[in-house]
Amino acid sequence: MLTAVKNQVRVCMLSVKYNIMREMLNKVTFLTNVTFMILNNGSILIQWFILFRLREDIGGYTMREVILLWGLTAASFGLSHILFARVYSLPELIVSGKLDSYLVQPKSVLLGVMTSATDISAIGDLLYGVILLAAGGLGVRGFMMSLLFVVTGMIILTAFAVLLGSLSFWFVRVDMLSGQMIMGLVSFATYPDGIFRGISRFLLYFVMPVGMVVYHPVHILVRFDAGMLLTVLGYACLLSVAAAAVFYRGLRRYASSSLMEARM
Amino acid sequence: MGDTLRCMEQAVLFCHSRVSKGLVREESVMQAIRVEALSKTFRVRRKEKGLRGSVQAILRPRTEEVRAVREVSFGVDEGEMLAFIGPNGAGKSTTIKMLTGILYPDGGRVEVLGIDPAKQRRQLAYQIGTVFGQKEQLWTHLTPYDNFRFFGAIYDITENETEKRIGELAERFELGEFINTPVRNLSLGQRIRCEIVASLIHKPQVLFLDEPTIGLDPVVKESVRSLVKQMNRECNTTIFLTSHDVGDIEKLCKRIIIVNAGQIVLDDSMEHLKYHYLHKKIVEVKMQEETALPQVEGITVLKQKGTNARLEVDTAVIAISDALRQINAEAVEDINISNVPLENIIMNIYKAEGKDLTEQAGNGQG
Repeated sequence: MLTAVKNQVRVCMLSVKYNIMREMLNKVTFLTNVTFMILNNGSILIQWFILFRLREDIGGYTMREVILLWGLTAASFGLSHILFARVYSLPELIVSGKLDSYLVQPKSVLLGVMTSATDISAIGDLLYGVILLAAGGLGVRGFMMSLLFVVTGMIILTAFAVLLGSLSFWFVRVDMLSGQMIMGLVSFATYPDGIFRGISRFLLYFVMPVGMVVYHPVHILVRFDAGMLLTVLGYACLLSVAAAAVFYRGLRRYASSSLMEARM
Repeated sequence: MGDTLRCMEQAVLFCHSRVSKGLVREESVMQAIRVEALSKTFRVRRKEKGLRGSVQAILRPRTEEVRAVREVSFGVDEGEMLAFIGPNGAGKSTTIKMLTGILYPDGGRVEVLGIDPAKQRRQLAYQIGTVFGQKEQLWTHLTPYDNFRFFGAIYDITENETEKRIGELAERFELGEFINTPVRNLSLGQRIRCEIVASLIHKPQVLFLDEPTIGLDPVVKESVRSLVKQMNRECNTTIFLTSHDVGDIEKLCKRIIIVNAGQIVLDDSMEHLKYHYLHKKIVEVKMQEETALPQVEGITVLKQKGTNARLEVDTAVIAISDALRQINAEAVEDINISNVPLENIIMNIYKAEGKDLTEQAGNGQG
């Protein structure tokens, strides 16, 4: 059992390594993508600086909390897109019948698919996010905890994308819904939760897991709450199990295709 | 380890004597593949043409069931080379995908080396190799060498063992010249050879080849065929081949299964097929001057243009020597006698059986 897990991890790491090697073939594009992603994210933060000059408090957040919010969102999003970029195109893979090569290998189909591509510009997001978290005045212990939340955020984001993408086994054109939900999640994750009330707040905590990706973690980083920490960890585990269960349930309906394809 | 032993035990249980087409094979043969009443149905969306049809499809979606494979049963012996062929849409690829664990069957039973592909996909994957001519498994930006190392990791082979295996296969498949060239820079023939090597890295007992020679030039095709043949001879690897290339079928396989409309329409040995269907000969003659051709039963004039003619002689009706006597030998400038190409035989079987199946389906519905 342990050997099987070790071998699976070895294959996943090799896969990620090869993905990054492929993206780094063109050094200029690689460096430009990473640099511009950092600059792009940085430019948005300037707007927040201007807003906080006008008001001290926005939705219960100060500038420091907004920095943590952005740091967690960018780093979680970045890490998920570096390691598991393919989950964001899962509907296309399912509908076009491109899972065959993973199904004939003696390894986890889901992990094989997840680690089969990388989004190199996400390195910019990750770097930017980690820099913000380091600048968030958390201290060493707080910074280490923020890194734990980057990992839980990455897991929740990835699992959410797998869950939505797996619906393609049952419904066609889920890609649009899936894409909108994920982009919505990321967009909402960059605003303080205090500005949302009523149904929108309910949606952000119970339909789109924004609350678990960033809001709860920011609150824990500002004021530690063990119960909230356990909720986030439990939610990350539960959502991962649910996403994998839905994927494998749907895999029984996989129809493959006779389209020509190449592993690029 | 426990799973492997269990699989081997199960495989041994399937030792039996195969009775096929009246030819009883007395020796006990282990079956590598056993398929019973295998079925697969796809639900396909149907849409009327135009924008109106698109709107209707959203409001009132219509689906239709397509029975891709209909209660197919067959067995493949260990070490056998089987051609599983049929026209496009006949259900070949669907069957091969159910045998390899890619698709879940809707009905029936499949066992490959005693393993159920739907329930024990991973265990089976260690024992089989797959080459899909239209779907590449290799990473195009990596060299074949790096790809083989990746596949070694996938099959849990130690680094030393992988190196040894790469060395052996590179020599046998003559990959030395390009083993360190990125796959995207290789020719199609070189890529296919690498695809085959990647599928053999873990020494599979059964190799599924789905149109492995598609798009290759005749020289490379021949090289791929001889390599597959060599592997079967040396390692007793069972080969399950689907191909539209008659050359692949004729040169590799001793047994042929033809499927059409999701059903098996012929399961026979190549020898038997040729014996039964090659009773027609094609006679091509070039006469010195334009002459009338014989109007005799058993001789059909396929084509006549000027002094050239193409005749089909049914040797079941008239002996070839008698047929030749009907032609004025003194006026013959050149003559060529050949068998009806296997391609034509297969095409006729597709047409004849396809028609029968359509009629059966029609009667069934009526």
